[in-house]
Amino acid sequence: MSEADFTPEEADDALAGEYVTGLLDRDAWNDAESRLRRDPLFAARVADWEQRLSGLNDDYAEVPVPELWPRIESRLFPRAAKRGWLSSLWAWGAAGTAAVAVVAYLALSPAQPSLTATLVAVGSTLKYEAVITQDKLTLTRVSGNPADAQHSLELWIIAGDNPPVSLGVIAGDRETISLPGVEPGQLLAVTLEPLGGSPTGKPTLPPLAIGKLDSV
Amino acid sequence: MTDDPIAILIHGTATQDRAAFRDLYSASSAKLMGVLLRILGERAEAEDALQEVYTRVWLKAGRFDASKGRGMTWLIALSRNLAIDRLRQRPDHVNDDDAMAAVSDPAPRAETRLIATGEARRINDCFATLEPDRAEALRGAYLTGLSYSDLATKFDVPLNTMRTWLRRSLLRLKECMTS
Repeated sequence: MSEADFTPEEADDALAGEYVTGLLDRDAWNDAESRLRRDPLFAARVADWEQRLSGLNDDYAEVPVPELWPRIESRLFPRAAKRGWLSSLWAWGAAGTAAVAVVAYLALSPAQPSLTATLVAVGSTLKYEAVITQDKLTLTRVSGNPADAQHSLELWIIAGDNPPVSLGVIAGDRETISLPGVEPGQLLAVTLEPLGGSPTGKPTLPPLAIGKLDSV
Repeated sequence: MTDDPIAILIHGTATQDRAAFRDLYSASSAKLMGVLLRILGERAEAEDALQEVYTRVWLKAGRFDASKGRGMTWLIALSRNLAIDRLRQRPDHVNDDDAMAAVSDPAPRAETRLIATGEARRINDCFATLEPDRAEALRGAYLTGLSYSDLATKFDVPLNTMRTWLRRSLLRLKECMTS
């Protein structure tokens, strides 16, 4: 069977359809890509096929996504990232401070908490409440998703201009760790790290969520 | 255009509005992840591709033309293109078996068809006018990125035969959709 009965126009249209459908093997795919860039008529045929076949898109199911937004942001806006972890953190901290809601557990718990913080995220629903009671910090995730199987969430504390100090990987929805000597004004931050936590001892990305510790 | 919130967010993104861009991510990332995962077959690669997709969205948002189609259609076209390109540039077709398994899934589920949009209904009606094998091959190519070589193997026909079949099927599909 030959294609002698295809007009040149039909042949181009079929090629555009093959390209959009994804049928082409590597060489033909690459040829179509470069033609797309230099041939507006062919590009228009491709655009038509994209619309024509878009009814098939209903077949793609939605799949939950882990917290990738911070990486996308740091990929695109490196200037913000290059300002350094601490200074960008201060910018985040300012936003965080405004949003910090002091949680009053006064009447509720037998041993009174001395400090609390709400760690809020920019660009996601991730949110933690931190409560410090008698040198113990309890961190509870109140909304948002845990890390996916390839990553870990890591908790950090920052005192003044000092570099962040890791308090460890957050394994569950609620964690209690021993944390003496904490003072009001110090920051808690959560970052997305490779599985098992940052390999360098420093955060590898800007924080996902951050909040300032305040006295109750 | 007011009935297309995604299109509005893409326009916002085109004006360098980071808040619009973030909202666009929230509103579309799960669907695009579905696209990338189905084609690439590996979670880690799909996650990496998703970051690349939004990088391109940020850079190319100005080229989106709402008069030509819906915002989600544009985003999916961009995602499919990136995923298929990655698939084609792989040194060998390491993922063929996965892709084969994916395409032998019962294609669209009954309930998906029931809630199908007008566009989806129309294309499904037109697919129904094609020979079932060829319709399945085309659908498999579109949804999971199967190439002619993959399909020739799967359906056990010579590559050129598959190619002739599907080029004709595409033109018939176009005719049906434009009539």
